[in-house]
Amino acid sequence: MKKREFIDELKDALEIEDKDQEITLETNLKDLEEYDSLSVLSIIAMIDKNFGKQIPSSDFIKVTTVSSLMELIGKKHFD
Amino acid sequence: MDSIFDLKNKNIIVTGASSGIGRQCAITFSQLAANIILIARNRERLEETFNRLNKGNHLFISQNITNYDRLEDIINTIREKMGKISGFVHSAGTEMTLPLRSMTSSYYENMFAINVISGFELARIISKKKYLDENGASFVFISSVMGILGQAGKVGYCSSKGALISGAKAMALELAKKNIRVNCILPGVVETEMSNKMFESLPKESKKSVIDMHPLGLGKPNDIAYACAYLLSDAARWITGTNLIIDGGYSAR
Repeated sequence: MKKREFIDELKDALEIEDKDQEITLETNLKDLEEYDSLSVLSIIAMIDKNFGKQIPSSDFIKVTTVSSLMELIGKKHFD
Repeated sequence: MDSIFDLKNKNIIVTGASSGIGRQCAITFSQLAANIILIARNRERLEETFNRLNKGNHLFISQNITNYDRLEDIINTIREKMGKISGFVHSAGTEMTLPLRSMTSSYYENMFAINVISGFELARIISKKKYLDENGASFVFISSVMGILGQAGKVGYCSSKGALISGAKAMALELAKKNIRVNCILPGVVETEMSNKMFESLPKESKKSVIDMHPLGLGKPNDIAYACAYLLSDAARWITGTNLIIDGGYSAR
């Protein structure tokens, strides 16, 4: 998947509708007001749907930036 | 000594008997002298339950009950091997915590198929005169306290458990003339494989807050099985169309 597409999927999962709100690889998810325990479940479902990977929510403790989330999924899945 | 609370000479079907509340129901009913028909998908775990039953005339059937077309054959086989049916407990169920925005139609369909429709279909078939014990029967649907209360991330689960409650009430009215009683049990969070799996999917602090919501702590499968046994027994002769909440105080707030 292209990084841009992934960020769009992520914005969807986080319900960020503001097109102008910029999310980059360096954005710390924990700084986003939309990021909470329920949105983690949405992100898990999104990853399962797109990558066929079931990531336990306990793994999200170490997630900080978008880039670190991509590492958790596996860099090989991204162009 | 015979007791009004025992389940002697009753053939009782339990779905979801391979784990959790369903498994404990089967074991507890067998201790109260019932003959149990266990149904679940997982053959290995079903056999494990079977081996833990008190001595009696029991049967286990490994089937996916969402294959609705197979259900009448199953009930027919049970009648041939065990005789007529006097109790049915629908404990098969699945849980999902996901925000509304991530839900899909297939998630709802899957949850309703297992939690609701398979139970109602089995109830329809068992209600036929040819399968039903002459003394009538008792049906118990394992709903949830979530069937009357909401919780974020549980739109699918809450609505399926709520459907059991209202469906059971309608069924109670319709089947009273056949001497079938229909009731729901509404457990709070009980320590089972399913709730453990749910806890694993949640952050640690959420687990603590779920436990804290139960003034008497989390439940054990037998807390539900005992109540279920009561509703199946002749002691509950006059109880139908009701909800029995067993939640350690969760809904008292």
